Amino acid sequence: MVTYLVRRSLLMIPTLLGITLMVFMLLALAPGGIGASMQAAGGQGNTTGIAQQQAYLEDRYGLSDPVIVQYAKWLSSISPIKFGTRDLRMQSGERVSVPRPIPAPSLPQVFPPPAMPSVVFTPSTDESQIAEFKALQRDAEGTRRTYVGSVRLFRDALADVARAVGAPLVGRLDGKGGAKANEFADVLTVLDAAQAQAAQDAVVGTSASSNIDATHKPDASAATVRVAQLAQARAKLFDAAKSMDTKWALAEETRQRATIAFMAGPYPKSGFPVIPNLVSLDTSDFGVAFSKNRPVWDLIIEALPVTLLINLIAFPISYLIAVPTGVIASVRRGSWFDLLTGVLYLSLYSIPTVLAGVFAIGFLANNQYLGLFPVSGLHDTTADTMAFLPSTNAAGVYKCGWLLDVMWHIALPVLCLTYGSFAILSKQTRASMLDNLSADYVRTAKAKGVARNDVVVRHVFRNSLLPLITMFVGIFPAMLGGSVVVERIFSVPGMGSLVLDAISNNDRDLILADVLMIAAVNVFALLLADILYAVADPRVSYE
Amino acid sequence: MADIHASVQARAAGQLLTKPVLEVADLAVSFDNASNPGAPRIQAVAGVSMSVFPQQTLAVVGESGCGKSVTALSTMQLVPSPPGRVDRGTILLEGTDLLSLTEQQMLSVRGGRVAMIFQEPMTSLNPVYTIGDQILEAILLHQKVTVEEAIERAINSLETVGIYNRLKERFKSDAMALKRGKSELLDEYPHRFSGGMRQRVMIAMALVCQPTVLLADEPTTALDVTIQAQILELLRDLQRSRGMAIMLITHNLGVVAENADVVCVMYGGRVVEYAQVFELFDRPMHPYTRGLFSSIPGLQHRLRRLTTVEEVTGNPAEFRKLPGAERGVIPWWPGLPKEARPPLESEREPYCLHEIQPGRWIGCWRTPELAAQGSRRPELDYRRDS
Repeated sequence: MVTYLVRRSLLMIPTLLGITLMVFMLLALAPGGIGASMQAAGGQGNTTGIAQQQAYLEDRYGLSDPVIVQYAKWLSSISPIKFGTRDLRMQSGERVSVPRPIPAPSLPQVFPPPAMPSVVFTPSTDESQIAEFKALQRDAEGTRRTYVGSVRLFRDALADVARAVGAPLVGRLDGKGGAKANEFADVLTVLDAAQAQAAQDAVVGTSASSNIDATHKPDASAATVRVAQLAQARAKLFDAAKSMDTKWALAEETRQRATIAFMAGPYPKSGFPVIPNLVSLDTSDFGVAFSKNRPVWDLIIEALPVTLLINLIAFPISYLIAVPTGVIASVRRGSWFDLLTGVLYLSLYSIPTVLAGVFAIGFLANNQYLGLFPVSGLHDTTADTMAFLPSTNAAGVYKCGWLLDVMWHIALPVLCLTYGSFAILSKQTRASMLDNLSADYVRTAKAKGVARNDVVVRHVFRNSLLPLITMFVGIFPAMLGGSVVVERIFSVPGMGSLVLDAISNNDRDLILADVLMIAAVNVFALLLADILYAVADPRVSYE
Repeated sequence: MADIHASVQARAAGQLLTKPVLEVADLAVSFDNASNPGAPRIQAVAGVSMSVFPQQTLAVVGESGCGKSVTALSTMQLVPSPPGRVDRGTILLEGTDLLSLTEQQMLSVRGGRVAMIFQEPMTSLNPVYTIGDQILEAILLHQKVTVEEAIERAINSLETVGIYNRLKERFKSDAMALKRGKSELLDEYPHRFSGGMRQRVMIAMALVCQPTVLLADEPTTALDVTIQAQILELLRDLQRSRGMAIMLITHNLGVVAENADVVCVMYGGRVVEYAQVFELFDRPMHPYTRGLFSSIPGLQHRLRRLTTVEEVTGNPAEFRKLPGAERGVIPWWPGLPKEARPPLESEREPYCLHEIQPGRWIGCWRTPELAAQGSRRPELDYRRDS
């Protein structure tokens, strides 16, 4: 049994990796790629600023990396085994990583690569150390941001040149209208040629030489304008390149300072070293949801209890109603009870949740009709001030208390979650019971003199448990995943809403964390089911 | 042979050696025709009478669907209802009519005074309970004992069916280990046992409450021949030591010849022949019985092919061999052509069980003469000497 459990647990790892990889690839396949939602809506404000902002965000979340690199980075951040320099952990529990290296601008041939600034810096060791580190961190982030923006400007300038020069270069523009920095040399070559051609055209166009056919004679005035245009574009390009180099040098210098300050250890180190400076163990980092700019883990911790609360009420209700009904229906097969519950449950099952939710709000919650329940949300606005249990205060005014308030609010969501599940659960129970009611051992039990009800409860029901366990496994992940439809209809801030937001924003880290969690719960539920099988049926053994 | 004559004479003189422990009289059971609700009900048993004496083995033989199992299940009142229904008749267990008992009273009869074992040892035990649990359940339902005593009885019961033989060989010298092994066996699940072992467990479970009648519904059909012999031997031993009556339902004539005292041959929900076992095998009288015997392959005769049952029952001449045939004593057979049948007393009830000679009953057409004679419930207080 233990061997089996260990083997199954180990098999979970590749399964989970496979699932997340697939989801990652699907994210990348979405139109615009993983960073699509980060693109500015456009139209408003100054486009250069938006482009720079976008470039900064892409740099910050690594969105411009190839998909497989992004996935590897995500894996290493969620992996409890960390390589390289250990993070520091602030008092607030937030983690600080070593400042990321900055890719140098590569402008070979034309501009010599800028010299790597060498920094000599001694961080302070007294109480100002943390403040100093924070300032350096901020500086590093700021200079890096400026640099990334300048790279974007340079690429725009490059694209302008390409457009000015004409067709051969336009084809090389990337999806965002920029050009790749390492094509600088190529662009320059073409630009040189174009400038020479334009200059020549200007000269030829003005000369009155008769050996050129008038129809082929270049237009001198247009050529002159073009010469000026190209010169301007060239100047802009060189300005952008120079600016990029300077900003890189500044950013790199600040980064080195920040790195030195980081190494001095203003905060205690996070995690547990396995091989010093190489391998360490640390908690998983699920990253930051870039659509909400908050750590993913915080979002999940907020949403999960809400979903758990609703489902831990809804699922026992469905089981407690559906299973006994199924048992009774099987024992009194063909009776009015069997028929009635069958018809009732199947008609409930046929009502779409969306419709039921809308009707529930429209009739049960709407003040124009019954107005019995709140329309949405999980608490009253004054819930914070409520006592837990119902009470009457000194003036004799009845207060419903926090518990009843929550129950009142989740009544409709729970109703919508449960009504549809009766049909499947009770039919499954009934079918499974019927299978066993005609079994030979039931006849044996009756021949022993076991009373009819005892036969049903002790002998038949126990044998009918296996399909119910399978069903339980099916709904268990939904319990944590939340119901997207119900949560959305009743504005419940649970896991379902969170997942839906994440998907509509194409929020990489949030989607991945959700997927990972649901997949892990699924895999664990399957394992749990296998264990339960062995408990329920002695013929199942994992030795 | 001496026995039967003594019995017959004693009965002729109006005195029975013992009273039958189980008497079935004119039992009729029918079922709903589920696939065709408008059609008449299916008559599974149409007026069956038989009786079993203490320590006697009554073998009920017949082909599938002839009503053997339904008769036994009716005795336990385990015929599912609906669709089943007892139309008429009585089933007397030591003088009490079981059919008139309430469900609550039946609970103490089932497994207590009447026990039943079934054909399928592989599926007749509940797979999710240990054999100990299942035997204890039977004990605790019927006997007012503590759990410790019940365990003791369960072990004894398993002991009697020879479950521990293997264990005893292994722990010949180690009494403690044997004792531990015995109680450990109670915690085993049925799937860990072979078919023969499971059938032994079934028998142990059936016999643990010392029933007066054991209904064995094809107890050996699913077992191989060696195990079959062991199980039957075991049943015979237990019968002798406990004075228990056995109704052995089977379609294996070899088993009947080896084990039965009295044989009841059934066809179409009716008894066609009822006789002491050796007389029946020596001189089958009903054409159906003759057909059954002639279809048994034997080594002693060199035959080109075996005779089928239909060849015998399809020949009207076969039906005129009974003594009194000229008076209209013709064996009942639903397939007999109209012209070969004697004039009946009433078309509604064409059958009666006729005691053609002392200790020998044949199912006959119910002519006015036979109807006037009336029919007596078949009972034969005979046990083979062994």
